[in-house]
Amino acid sequence: MTATVERTAPVTRVRPPSRRKSRRLEPFTIASYAGVICFGLVCAIPFWMVVAGSLTAESALSQRGYSFWPTPFSLDAYTTLFQGTRVWLSYGATIFITGIGTAIAVAATSGIAWVIARGLPRVSRPLAVFAYIPMLFNGGLVPMYILITQVLQLQNSWFAVILPLVIAPFLVFVQVSFFRATPQEILDAARIDGAGELRIFFQVVLPLSKPVIAVIALFYAVTFWNEWFHALLFLSQPEKFPLQLVLQNLISSVTNAAELGTTSAAPVYQMRLAMTVITIGPILLAYPFAQRYFVKGLTLGATKG
Amino acid sequence: MILAAPAVILLLVFAYGPMAGLVVAFQDFNVADGVFASPWAGLENFRFFFTSGDATRIMRNTLLLNVLFLSATLAVGVMLALMLNEIRGKVTKRFFQSVIFVPYFVSPIVVSIFLQAFLAGPGGRGGLINDAAGLFGIPSVTWYTEPGPWPWILTLVKVWQLGGYMSVIFLAAITAIPEEVYEAGEIDGASRAQMAWRITTPLLKPTAAILLVLGVGRIFYGDFATIYAIVGDNGTLFPTTDVIDTYVFRALRTRGDFGVTAAIGLVQSVVGFVLVVIATMVQRRYAKETSIL
Repeated sequence: MTATVERTAPVTRVRPPSRRKSRRLEPFTIASYAGVICFGLVCAIPFWMVVAGSLTAESALSQRGYSFWPTPFSLDAYTTLFQGTRVWLSYGATIFITGIGTAIAVAATSGIAWVIARGLPRVSRPLAVFAYIPMLFNGGLVPMYILITQVLQLQNSWFAVILPLVIAPFLVFVQVSFFRATPQEILDAARIDGAGELRIFFQVVLPLSKPVIAVIALFYAVTFWNEWFHALLFLSQPEKFPLQLVLQNLISSVTNAAELGTTSAAPVYQMRLAMTVITIGPILLAYPFAQRYFVKGLTLGATKG
Repeated sequence: MILAAPAVILLLVFAYGPMAGLVVAFQDFNVADGVFASPWAGLENFRFFFTSGDATRIMRNTLLLNVLFLSATLAVGVMLALMLNEIRGKVTKRFFQSVIFVPYFVSPIVVSIFLQAFLAGPGGRGGLINDAAGLFGIPSVTWYTEPGPWPWILTLVKVWQLGGYMSVIFLAAITAIPEEVYEAGEIDGASRAQMAWRITTPLLKPTAAILLVLGVGRIFYGDFATIYAIVGDNGTLFPTTDVIDTYVFRALRTRGDFGVTAAIGLVQSVVGFVLVVIATMVQRRYAKETSIL
């Protein structure tokens, strides 16, 4: 994990000589370095422990516990997992939920955010309040459960996992604050050229907003990738489980692990760790490239809000 | 405008629909009759909950844990941001920021597995903490049967998850502070530590206030995902970790008691709403320009 982040940092960049460089090192600065390095290690170590553990033979794992270096090295857990069908199915489920979910979420969020940002009289302000209230007040678990299972009959559908999460009010307002900065002249120019409101949105505003769309798409994608609560509530057929739910079943009972593989003597603990690596892998691989977008999104949301 | 229509419909169904569904709290709900035909129960569901003896316990746990989470993550976030601000060199700074931000993207389930590596190893072993304690001759603790330390363990987990996230927000606020303020401090002979404590920290108050208001609004909502992923159905830990949300979930799953659980949800929402309104009003009084809407 740490290695991948390091590689993306442009190390060769020449910085202008800093004013502060000439200052002597003060105790507070040294303490800060120490503090940040410690916290950074605390953040990174669990990832390494799990990766190392997933590559350590089951026998060594249960005799000596976790170690920093995988000895004896073993790929048993990964081969067992990938020979079974369950991992592939759950990957498919997670990719479906993440892909479709993010697409719907971005479309819906952009639409409402644009209308709020346009500042239309008698429409925008009530709409903002309408989008804001769910941030403060929600119906809770039971009505949601009744809605999905009784009214909409969405049990065992991936849409039961997707739809409750497609509009995050916080991200609506992140996007509103970005849209508000769209230069009025460009819109006026398009209007003079005879473009309708819809055409302006799709052909002028959206192409200008690629950075913010990347930001909210990434936030939604992480939410959907990590979602398991609605899956736990509404999915009961094991072949529809997304990765997170499969992983949760592995924690709650060791015997569940055996079902994932093909052989009877499955390396249970090693498999639990391997499954963890498989689940967080894509996020960690994408993270170095996506990280600056997340920072940007948070900054937009925090400073303008 | 039609562009807002999909979002409005989705919000109506999935955010406002459940709010309307809270009428179940006043019903003796049964699946056969549904929301529209179940018999009314008045305030019976509320009375049942508040006299059951669980109410005080889970409300106390919810408040206590959230106060711990909120104060610890805010404090660590500010500290990390101040420390990151000391780091020279853009690349180094961004590297460290990336590393401490990464736990935010890990799901509660994965966090739970990480925690198990530290507290309970494979094959009935003690886990890393006990292994390390063993080196110094400290007897090992079976963490998953001791309810006592769990509020602190969960707080550490939240700090691990959110410390970096908070620091990103605070660091953004620090970058917005004009350079002249620090130049003035430098002329007055302030050390880096004094500048961090006397200049930066007070200027972070508005940002902290926003996060605090948002946090206070959620203070009556237990952190279901994290707590359930970690504690699950481990009953020995309930005395200190069972919060409103995990209680509601269990009540729904094991007893199928829709009315009572909806009543708890309603109490939760109303209290949360009142708290956020009060917090926003207090905050508006002190920092008018930073209010949210």
